[in-house]
Amino acid sequence: MTEAPGAVASERRLDRLPSLSGDAVARGLKAVLTAIAIWALVGMGWLSIAPNRLLPGEALPATAVLGGWAHASALALLLIVGAGFRRDAGEAARAARFALLLGLLIGLLILTGIAAGRSLEGEPPSARCMVGAGFFTMVGAIVLLLLDEARGVRPTLVAAIVLCGVVALAIAKRSGAFEGLSIMVEYRARSDLFRAALLRHVALSVSALAIALLVSIPLGWLAFRHPRFRAGVNALLSGIQVVPAVALFGLLVSLLSFALAAWSSLRGLGLAAIGPTPALIGVAAYLMLPLTRGVATGLAAADPAVIETARGMGMTDRRIAWEVRLPLGLPVFVSGLRVAAVQSIGLTTLGGLIGAGGFGALVFEGMAQFAPDLIILGSLPIVAMAILADLALRAFELRVARPLS
Amino acid sequence: MKQLHYGLAAAAVALALAAVADPDTASRLVEALGGTRKPPVPADRLLDLAARHATLAITSVAVASILGVTLGVFVTRSAGAALRPLVDTLVAALQAIPPIVVVALAFPALGFGSAPTVLALVFYCVMPVLRGTIAGIEAVPGEARQAARAMGFTRWQLIWSIEVPLALPLISEAVRVALVLAVATAAIGALAGAATLGTPIITGLQNQNELHILQGAAATAALAFLAEAAWLLGLCLVERQPVEA
Repeated sequence: MTEAPGAVASERRLDRLPSLSGDAVARGLKAVLTAIAIWALVGMGWLSIAPNRLLPGEALPATAVLGGWAHASALALLLIVGAGFRRDAGEAARAARFALLLGLLIGLLILTGIAAGRSLEGEPPSARCMVGAGFFTMVGAIVLLLLDEARGVRPTLVAAIVLCGVVALAIAKRSGAFEGLSIMVEYRARSDLFRAALLRHVALSVSALAIALLVSIPLGWLAFRHPRFRAGVNALLSGIQVVPAVALFGLLVSLLSFALAAWSSLRGLGLAAIGPTPALIGVAAYLMLPLTRGVATGLAAADPAVIETARGMGMTDRRIAWEVRLPLGLPVFVSGLRVAAVQSIGLTTLGGLIGAGGFGALVFEGMAQFAPDLIILGSLPIVAMAILADLALRAFELRVARPLS
Repeated sequence: MKQLHYGLAAAAVALALAAVADPDTASRLVEALGGTRKPPVPADRLLDLAARHATLAITSVAVASILGVTLGVFVTRSAGAALRPLVDTLVAALQAIPPIVVVALAFPALGFGSAPTVLALVFYCVMPVLRGTIAGIEAVPGEARQAARAMGFTRWQLIWSIEVPLALPLISEAVRVALVLAVATAAIGALAGAATLGTPIITGLQNQNELHILQGAAATAALAFLAEAAWLLGLCLVERQPVEA
């Protein structure tokens, strides 16, 4: 871009003149989020006591459940946000506010857990204490404030503060602060199942990703080498994407049972019509599109001039592929890998419908029973794994891309 | 020209898949593969479900598009630039959450029916539209913007008469991708009681009736290709009209 400096300056001035400044918008957002969090604390249902795990309970506001702590928390929130409202004072101040906000959030979690345990005293054992809409709204608002505060703070510092928070939560959990909450009751009743589901979910999504990689790397290579082949592969893999996953899984169950009836020797290989086999094949089938595309576009990412230079230096095609195309195309490939990994975790959930286990089994059992706590117990780990995989591979993507820029 | 070819090819695939979903063809196909004879889903029921399925997907994509374009225009303003990282993170997180999990989590709060599915599809489709809008607006040449300002365009005129029209091809491409995704994904709504083409798939899974699964799958895929074909052919029609001087 070669523009006259005057033009740039005038554009900037014209742009700023009639519009709000970015600071004002960011401040407005902060004010709105703070107001929402305070409203959640004083005006919405915080905890509800239900006669059993299926019936809805009577919602109580935080002011009734936490007493003076609710007001104190609202005041603390106001002070923390207010301290950074007028002026943005550098990284240290931001980091301090981030830590204080996180501390407030964790404090509220622990207080809510203790309050839940206390409010169950004297109730029959089937009674459950569930967190309500106000609690979730407050958590959402504070997480957004945290995300906003984390801008401009070094990622390592953010990670260290978050780690301290996680340790605090783990200690609180050990000392039994959350035992009264219905979701913990649900977890205690199924802790073995939960652990088995975690192992199965991770094993299934990782194996599906590995299977898909084994197929996609040669496929992507072929698609890169032969443009005609590429169109066919693309059409086929895109076609798979529009078949609903639930249906593909179901059809695989039917096809496998036909195949096993026809060739019973396949059973000797440990294949079965329901369970992990169809889930693995089904999930891997969906992952092939992002992976194959990642490989093919990654290989094509290198500038033709660079390839020419390498050839001019006397490099063979094989060496060019390994030493030029691979490093230059790695960010594109990792981006495809990220999409595939996140999809793998999500799609494995549906394996629960065909007896493959994993967290999907908990979620669908919860839906069938209309038991919100069981649904949340199965869903939260899936969300956490998907977001963590996304963040981790995004960071890796930036890392492999950095030497180029 | 390419658009016309792709559109016609998608329409042909949609037709072929619709033929597979047809009760008679599907029955014969399952029997040929060694399945037993079972009552198929009647064609009129399938059409009714397809209409509901399409309504659900189109509603969700419309909401996601309005949200995505609005957010995209907002974060490309100087006032919104400060919020861009926050919006990016949030929308990426929404897309990382598997739609089935959104449906399951929204199910106790929103109840039986299509509401949880609409929510899940909106979450899933905002990101592609937002990305397309941002890419489109960022590709608008600075000269075009400066010329518009020099001509005395207001901020809104700049957005609606210059930036959005110039970004439209990329936005339209993103909405097409979102629509196809939404049609294919809407089937999971059946797990929370939304009447979609996923309904025969789920009942088929529960009753081990592979015929119903096949019909639901083929009909959903047909609808997805139909959406693609309609979008591409519609674009051909719109683009053929002469541009006003």
